[in-house]
Amino acid sequence: METQQPNKNILTTLAVPISIVIAGALIALAVVFSGGTSDQVVVNQPQVPVAQKQEPEGNLEAVRPVDANDHIKGDIDAPVKIVEYSDFECPFCKRIHDTLNTVVENNPNVAWVYRQFPLEQLHPVKAQRAAVASECAAELGGNDAFWQFTDGYFADSTTGNNRTDQDTLIPALIAKIGIDQEAFNECANSGRYDDHIAADVENAVETGGRGTPWSIVIGPDGKTLPLNGAQPQAAIEQIIELVQ
Amino acid sequence: MGILTIVIGIQNWQLLSSLWSAEFGTSWQKLVLTLTLYVSIGTNFTLLAGFTTVITSVLFGTSVALLIYYTKTVQNMPTRMTGIGISGFGGMISGLFGIGCAACGTFLFSQMLFLFGAGWLLTWLPLKGEEFGLLGVILLIYTNYLLVKKIREPLICPT
Repeated sequence: METQQPNKNILTTLAVPISIVIAGALIALAVVFSGGTSDQVVVNQPQVPVAQKQEPEGNLEAVRPVDANDHIKGDIDAPVKIVEYSDFECPFCKRIHDTLNTVVENNPNVAWVYRQFPLEQLHPVKAQRAAVASECAAELGGNDAFWQFTDGYFADSTTGNNRTDQDTLIPALIAKIGIDQEAFNECANSGRYDDHIAADVENAVETGGRGTPWSIVIGPDGKTLPLNGAQPQAAIEQIIELVQ
Repeated sequence: MGILTIVIGIQNWQLLSSLWSAEFGTSWQKLVLTLTLYVSIGTNFTLLAGFTTVITSVLFGTSVALLIYYTKTVQNMPTRMTGIGISGFGGMISGLFGIGCAACGTFLFSQMLFLFGAGWLLTWLPLKGEEFGLLGVILLIYTNYLLVKKIREPLICPT
C-alpha cells in the first residue's frame, strides 16, 4: 500500500502543472488575440494577397455601395439591403442562404446582395472555383441565372466544406440553367473574374469580415449593423426592423 | 449559462458592440435582439460545437459548485487545489476555443491562426479545430474527478 502512494502523488502532482501549462498557453494566446494587437488581418487569396492595417472591428461604412453590377435578389431600391459576403463551400453559408431566401420572400422592403468571400485557406480551390462559376453564370445568363446557380449550388452541395463534387455539380447546374457549356468553360478558364472576387474579399475584410457568412444590414439614413455567421431568422428580422 | 453567454458574446461581439453603441433603436429592441442571439446555438454552431458548449457549461458549473463546497468544508485550500482550479479554467478556455464554425473561420481558434498566418493548419486537424472543444470537456471532466476525489478524502491532519 505504501508503495502506491508516491505514484498517486506523482500523478496528481504532474497533472496540475500540465493543466497549468495548457491553460497558460491557451490564456496567453487568448490575451494576444483580444488585447488589441490583432490590427493586421491576412486573407490569402491566390490572386491578390490582402494585408491591411485596420481597426480590429473593421469599418462597416467601408462597404462598397450597392449598384446594378451587384447580384441582387429583390428590389435594388428597397430601403433595407443585406449585403452578404459568402463562401460556396461554407456549410453555414448554406444555412443562412435558406434563411435569407425566406427573409427576402417575406419582406418586400428588403433586398439581398450577394458578394464573394471564398476562404482559400479553409476551402482551397473549390471555394474560388464555385465563386468564378457563379460569376460566369451571371455573365452568360444574367442576374436570374446567378441566383439559380447559387440556390442550386447550396441546395445540392449537401455538406460543402470542400467536399462538393464540383465536376458533377457545376456542369449539371449550368445545363439546368440553360447556359452554353462551351461559353461557360471559356469564361471559367479565362481568369477574368479573379480580380472582381479578390475585390469582394478585400471589401469583406475591410468591413470587419473574419469568416463566412459575413453580412451587413444597411438601412435608410446610413443605419448599419453587422451580422456574423448563420443567425436565426428571428434575429435577422429584428435587425431589419432596427435599421428601418 | 455563463459560459453560453460568453460563447454567444464572442461569436457576436461585432454585432453587439455596434448594436449597443448605435444611436437608433430602443433599449428594449436591443435587449430583445441580444436575447434572441441565444437561439443561434441552433443555427450558428456545428452539432459537435453546440454539444461541447452545453457540456462545457454544465461541467464548468459543476466544477465551481464542487470547488465552493470543498473550500467551505476545508478552511485552508491546499496548493494542489489551485492547480485543480486552473485545470478547470483551462478546460473552459479550451472549450471556448473549440466553438464556432470551424469550416468558415468564425471561431476563435481559426481567427487566431489566421492572425498568425497559419490558417492552413486547420486543414490538418480532422475536426478542423473543434478538437479544442473536446479537450475542454476532457479537462473539465478530469477537474471534476479530482475535486470529487478530494471531497471524498477523509479530513485528517497530515503528518
